[in-house]
Amino acid sequence: MAKNFFDKIRPTFSKGGKLAWLHSSFDAFETFFFVPNRVTRKGCTHVKDCIDLKRLLIIVVIALVPSLLFGIWNLGYQHSRVFGLDWGFWQMVWYGFVKIIPLYLVSYIVGLGIEFASAQMKGHEVSEGYLVSGFIIPLIVPVDVPWWMLALAVAFAVIIGKEVFGGTGMNIWNPALLARAFLFFSYPSKMSGDAIWVGGLSKALAGGTPWKGGEVVDAISGATPLSHASLDGLSAAGTSAWNLFLGNVPGAVGETSVIAILIGALLLMGTGVASWKIMCSSVLGALFVGWLGNIGGVTDIPCWEMLLMGGFAFGTVFMATDPVTSAQTETGKWIYGFLIGALCITVRLFNPGYPEGMMLAILLMNTFAPLIDHYVVNANIQRRIKRAKTV
Amino acid sequence: MNTNNNVYTIVYTTIVVVVAAAILAIAAMALKPKQDANIKAETISQMLTAAGFSDKDALAKLGNDQILAMYSGNIKTAFLIDKDGNKTGELETDVNDIELQDNLKVENKNIAAGNPSLPVYVFEKDGAEINVIPIYGAGLWGPIWGYIAFDANCSKIVGAYFDHESETPGLGAKIKDEAWFREEFVGKEVNFAKPDDSFDIIKGGAPKDDKSAVDAITGATMTCNGLDAALDTWFKAYMPFLQKKAGAAAADDDACCGGACGKECDGQCEHEHNHQEG
Amino acid sequence: MNEDLKKTLLNPIFKGNPITVLVLGICSSLAVTVQLKGALVMALSVIIVTGLSSLVVSLLRNSIPNRVRIIVQLVVVAMMVILVDQVLRAYAYSIDKQLSVYIGLIITNCIVMGRIEAFALGNKPIPSLLDGLANGAGYGMILVIVAFFRELLGSGTLLGFRVLPESYVPNNLVILPPMALIILGCIVWVQRSIQKDLQEK
Repeated sequence: MAKNFFDKIRPTFSKGGKLAWLHSSFDAFETFFFVPNRVTRKGCTHVKDCIDLKRLLIIVVIALVPSLLFGIWNLGYQHSRVFGLDWGFWQMVWYGFVKIIPLYLVSYIVGLGIEFASAQMKGHEVSEGYLVSGFIIPLIVPVDVPWWMLALAVAFAVIIGKEVFGGTGMNIWNPALLARAFLFFSYPSKMSGDAIWVGGLSKALAGGTPWKGGEVVDAISGATPLSHASLDGLSAAGTSAWNLFLGNVPGAVGETSVIAILIGALLLMGTGVASWKIMCSSVLGALFVGWLGNIGGVTDIPCWEMLLMGGFAFGTVFMATDPVTSAQTETGKWIYGFLIGALCITVRLFNPGYPEGMMLAILLMNTFAPLIDHYVVNANIQRRIKRAKTV
Repeated sequence: MNTNNNVYTIVYTTIVVVVAAAILAIAAMALKPKQDANIKAETISQMLTAAGFSDKDALAKLGNDQILAMYSGNIKTAFLIDKDGNKTGELETDVNDIELQDNLKVENKNIAAGNPSLPVYVFEKDGAEINVIPIYGAGLWGPIWGYIAFDANCSKIVGAYFDHESETPGLGAKIKDEAWFREEFVGKEVNFAKPDDSFDIIKGGAPKDDKSAVDAITGATMTCNGLDAALDTWFKAYMPFLQKKAGAAAADDDACCGGACGKECDGQCEHEHNHQEG
Repeated sequence: MNEDLKKTLLNPIFKGNPITVLVLGICSSLAVTVQLKGALVMALSVIIVTGLSSLVVSLLRNSIPNRVRIIVQLVVVAMMVILVDQVLRAYAYSIDKQLSVYIGLIITNCIVMGRIEAFALGNKPIPSLLDGLANGAGYGMILVIVAFFRELLGSGTLLGFRVLPESYVPNNLVILPPMALIILGCIVWVQRSIQKDLQEK
């Protein structure tokens, strides 16, 4: 039925039609709902494969859904725990739902708005890359972030991070992370501290009146596990490795539950959408530096527990593997992932000012990804020349 | 004329360099008194701000002469002390000939070497004495320094002013720019029981009942750590003097300020939460 | 005024702007543009240094031994920079403190040496003076534009006076150097979309 609708209105938007100037917008909506009219034939030489980019992105979005669902519940759970509300399951879910929906609205309206506008201006088709970025952004920002700040961050990420470089596929940095970095550096008081990760908590602490009934039971319990930089700190906050794995700890919406992220990771790896090499090497890098930290006496948190904390898992699975901004060569992916993991833990251990090293690690390696590729390709060429000579 | 032969080149460069050096020397000599006066007025206005006589920005608009006059008009005495807190010399306070011990960098080294000559500036405000002492240390990018004002018996801090050379704007630079951070120090005490760690700047919020600790600035961990270390070092150097003052006062009046301090501290704590939102 | 002088004076302001077209003097334009006041003083200092250095070098141009010309130019520029720094320290102490090392670093600003090498060495004193002043002004103009946005968005003030309402939440990123680079990029963007012939293929 919807298909008929699109077929009926297509002429209006085609060249010469009444609304021809809107054709890129039309195309975007149509291909969002259906496979495009023209796809590369199966079996012919193609850089990737015959799946349309939009379908590819849909898989990423599906992989993100478990994290989102868990995050929604966890929002309610944390709120109920900190304020001592004794909520039931559906109450928690409803609270999380009400909190997260505006973030999604802001993220998509602003982001897609700019994408559409710039596509119209340039006369390109609307690129669909923002679909995933827009889905990730609400998952990695504090839930209480003011909407206008989020809107500003999204606009910054899309315009400065993507459009000026030529749109989707040409960007150097992961747009979602860029939005978070913008927020982080622009409004540090809203983006760091112990109170921001539980819905309503910072407001309650500031004004003395929580968003919805109840008293703050324990303000310190709003801190993310990352801010307790030792085992003692963790156990004092009542956080076990199992909690970290399960994800019922304070944190950004999508990043707390390692289980939910793993489900997404399996889906991504199974469909071959994201590179398993990057994920594995990132984990290896993190373990390596974490292990060095352990034997060096820098931290008493075992290296494997580092993997469960903060945004590491989420970043590794969903953002480091972004095909546009990661390394393209196979060897390059190993180096790139390893350095992300290593850098992330290094930042965590040695810079208490920025306990969340994942964002900085990925953005930095995004910057270096082309360089890594360059050297991998060059090394390959050298090797072949040598081989050719010896023969 | 051949401008490329050796003799010409050497003579020419010599003349150019000598002329340039002469011009610079004359300029430096002519401007030196004015520059020194600026530095002196700057130091004094930091002290006056810490002691609560005025505000740094307001003072900057006054001009050097009025700042010096304000200093002379309000100061009672200024003197130097050695490492045991004994007075070793006076500093002139007359408006025409104000002496300051403002080479804090040198004194910072002397503290480490064990032979400091530390200044104490005693102001009089509303009939009560205010003792102002300097602190100095390393921030993230460069030196940081400041002045701490104590009440008459050196038991409570009544004001503070901090400055820096090159801390990050918007982060470390807040030790100077943010009034709430300076105000946090008001009502706090130096912890005589822990001479090596007599004052704390705590990341993530100081406990409400800790009278020798203030909140750190979010995102400025390194600068705050540096300031913490500077406070500890200089308070330790001044410790004999401060204790003497406090001891003398305790003998006068055993009741000190127990209750009053508590009230002040609570007032501060409410303030601390506000800035986190800020 | 004849056409040549007019061109000497106007070209560096827009079409041949040292920052946005020649991309010189970037470092200092990132460092001193947090506040408008500092940027204005910096702009003025650079205008004076470029103008007077060009004038002096142009006066000496026929007598400078070619082998040591860079050294002689450096001596002249360094002298001007130190003079400006000394004067500021005596008469505008608080601003001098805020600009800290960057006044001294004018000497490393490529615009100064660049104009001397490219123009003052081969032209008469008056055009050289104008060329120096104009290039300094072109640099200063960009500095002031960047500082305008940075102070407005980063502190909500202009020249220290509050312009935006108290409810405006200052954006910290604008105060950090990366944002200066981005604003600079936007200015280049705007200029090149106005002046199409500057666009590289």
